[in-house]
Amino acid sequence: MAASVRYLLKPWTPSLYLVRWSRYNPYYLDPDPSKDARVLESELSPEQKELQELKTVRPIKAALSSDTSSSFNDPLISKFINMMMQDGNKILARGIMTQTLESIKRKQVEKYHKSPAAKKEEIECNPYTIFHQGLENCKPIIGLASVQKGGKSYQVPVPLTDNRRRFLAMKWMITECRDNKHRRTHMYEKLSQELLAAFANEGNVVKRKHDLHKMAEANRAYAHYRWW
Amino acid sequence: MTSGRECFPTENGDLHEDVKRHYRKTMSGFVIQDKVAKLLSRQNGKPVLRPIKPLALKNEVASRRMKKGEATCVTEMSLLMACWKLNDFNNAVCSKEVSAFYTCVEKAQSKAKGKQGTQD
Repeated sequence: MAASVRYLLKPWTPSLYLVRWSRYNPYYLDPDPSKDARVLESELSPEQKELQELKTVRPIKAALSSDTSSSFNDPLISKFINMMMQDGNKILARGIMTQTLESIKRKQVEKYHKSPAAKKEEIECNPYTIFHQGLENCKPIIGLASVQKGGKSYQVPVPLTDNRRRFLAMKWMITECRDNKHRRTHMYEKLSQELLAAFANEGNVVKRKHDLHKMAEANRAYAHYRWW
Repeated sequence: MTSGRECFPTENGDLHEDVKRHYRKTMSGFVIQDKVAKLLSRQNGKPVLRPIKPLALKNEVASRRMKKGEATCVTEMSLLMACWKLNDFNNAVCSKEVSAFYTCVEKAQSKAKGKQGTQD
């Protein structure tokens, strides 16, 4: 009896705490966490000036805890880490990413020192540029959508949005490294190999992109089945 | 309005003054608001209306029929595919067609967004 009364007298705290949701009113603007974003007013174009004005007036969404104002904050790499993460283990995913970048750098520096002086300028040592360019080489340009017409469903070539292309490139990269490699190699090793191959437009992920393009090309007769 | 001659328009082509006054009274919001208040009130037994949403008009009319659009950027796509076929799907060689395709897609997307904005 006393215990139940005491339970009622406890202060109420919510068992679920509100964190930053993704469903905001479209009126809200995205946060810009970079510290040195301030450019002189004279150097801004009229559209950028308008954007600055808007930022002083409009409400802004809450920043994610993964957004930092450091110069190492890269949205593409953050997105890739999130996609690699399993069961919420962000620490492991970030560790794998840093190990991947390190192994890419090591391989490239080794290659740089071993190559003759003439070819030294061609070798790219920055792992971030290799990551960005490799992912760019994996992005498909045209996708396929299933459209039903006259009882039959056809694979119709369709233009893709930027987000969808980026997502497909990352997804293919991760699934390729998880499934189609030797099981005793570490993930960072597999990723670094695949990223370096993608940077040189070789490898299984780029092959998959080419396969998609070939399918789209084969089905180009159905392009008019689209209505959007 | 006493005589029936108010129904016909005057020599100037304008309506009779009483007719105009009658229109002005019904067109003003007060008459309509009183009627709505009477329909919602519980003073005369059960209310006639039990609205779930506020009784206000929307800013747009419901679309009658969905116009079936056509595929956008088909020409750019076909040019790109022809270039691919010639150059064995090499994107570096076909960069001009690729950029043309991208610009076309962006234009089509912004157009579709603008249309959606005005419709809804």
